[in-house]
Amino acid sequence: MSLTMSRDNIVVRSLEQIGNCGLFLLRLLAAIPQSLRHYRETVRQLWFVGAMSLIIIMVCGLFVGMVLGLQLYDVLSIFGGTSATGTVVAIAIYRELGPVVTALLFAGRAGTSVTAEIGLMRATDQIAAMEMMAVDPIAYVAVPRFLAGMIAMPLLSCVFCAMGIFGGHLVGVSWLGIDNGTFWSNMTATVEVGKDVINGVLWKSFVFGIVVSLIAVFQGYTTPPTSEGVAYATTRTVVASSIAILALDFVLTAFLM
Amino acid sequence: MTEPVSAKPDDSALVRVRGLTTVLNGKKVFDSLDMDIPRGKITAIMGPSGTGKTTLLKHITGQMRGDAGEVWVDGHSVSKLSREKLFELRERIGYLFQNSALLTDFDVFENVAFPLRQHTELPEVLIRNIVLTKLQAVGLRGAAALMPTELSGGMARRVALARAIVFDPMLILYDEPFVGLDPIALNQVLKLIRTLNETLGITSVLVAHELEAIKQVADHIYLIANGKVVAQGDPKTIADDGSPWTRQFFGGEADGPVPFQYPAGDYATSLGFPRRGA
Repeated sequence: MSLTMSRDNIVVRSLEQIGNCGLFLLRLLAAIPQSLRHYRETVRQLWFVGAMSLIIIMVCGLFVGMVLGLQLYDVLSIFGGTSATGTVVAIAIYRELGPVVTALLFAGRAGTSVTAEIGLMRATDQIAAMEMMAVDPIAYVAVPRFLAGMIAMPLLSCVFCAMGIFGGHLVGVSWLGIDNGTFWSNMTATVEVGKDVINGVLWKSFVFGIVVSLIAVFQGYTTPPTSEGVAYATTRTVVASSIAILALDFVLTAFLM
Repeated sequence: MTEPVSAKPDDSALVRVRGLTTVLNGKKVFDSLDMDIPRGKITAIMGPSGTGKTTLLKHITGQMRGDAGEVWVDGHSVSKLSREKLFELRERIGYLFQNSALLTDFDVFENVAFPLRQHTELPEVLIRNIVLTKLQAVGLRGAAALMPTELSGGMARRVALARAIVFDPMLILYDEPFVGLDPIALNQVLKLIRTLNETLGITSVLVAHELEAIKQVADHIYLIANGKVVAQGDPKTIADDGSPWTRQFFGGEADGPVPFQYPAGDYATSLGFPRRGA
């Protein structure tokens, strides 16, 4: 009986959170015109969530491409198809690994920092001070971070993909001896810009950017103003973002294929 | 309960609280509270910790709404204002937070300039002059380039004060303005509060515990406890009005109408000692 009740409570609380998050999104969207006045803040946030995430995205992209090249070469050599290594690396990265891994890294690197920053602003009365100075904190604090995440994600995904393919090339061509011309020509012949790059990378990462930024800003804005509250909120950002990214990836792939 | 009255523009009270009742976490913070803050005067609100002094300031600024009653500021019923109108009203109110609430991303200069940049299109040179004037008034012009993390608690409070007065508001609400100030800074802040009041006619509301400091600047004191105004009057005479509230509060006595101990069970039982006769 109590188990059923606690399960019901979890379900109700989760639905309540999703509902509140949806209402928060409406508040964000409504505040976008007003926040255009604070475009400098959006640019500043773009630097923090985008440019400052470049190193981790580039390094991870490189290693993902390298390990992918190594594994695929090993498998394809069984069938004598090592010349397809570049093609398979590119398709795997463009369609799945690029947007998904970038979004997961973005949630861990930028999402948590956004949540913690807004949570601490709330805990130290900075949000209340803005309200008292007749500055809407949704327009000044939340929307710039939301927009910055939305813009940064597709760009970071592109960087990740480029580094991944470079990593695959490094292993396949420079180390394992696949012909450079074959590597590139097979890849360019098979990869479709519309299906793989626009649908696979840009659309997916744009949606992931919206979702991760929304979750990060929402968690920070609604966190209890205590150190424990901020700690839980950052954890919730990573957990909720990861689940949302992987679930949405399936839905988007099904629609975009 | 007193009927809410409409505050007229020529009303001598800038802030009028009528029948304010607020319940927080099951505790009645205000029980039909009535209070008038006269225009152009310095009014101090005092009372034991946890009696809702900061909460009252939040009601005045519309950060919180009561369960019953009305708060009128300059003729506007705060709880009935739309968000836009409330923001318009807040542009004319300065608020000094208990913990300063400086924006940690900006240096001292930008913190003070923040309201000007958000609400005006003033040229940079004018913004610079206004900000430096306000910082000079609080003695921190030389600290303009420092970040909030480089300031002591007292300095941060003075920067927050400079920010609160940057628009020369009609009303300034000071929440514990004297905490953490050394005697020199305390004296200067007292002078500043008095000067702002005398030269610009700014109405000030002080929430503080320092009776000696309050005596130097306040024109009127309200003592609140148990959700009501229990005493009010002139700072020089309020302590001598003979009521048990003022005797206990200003005398610093543990025994009196305000319990020093938070409600709890039997002390000996809590410590594990057997009860007498058991």
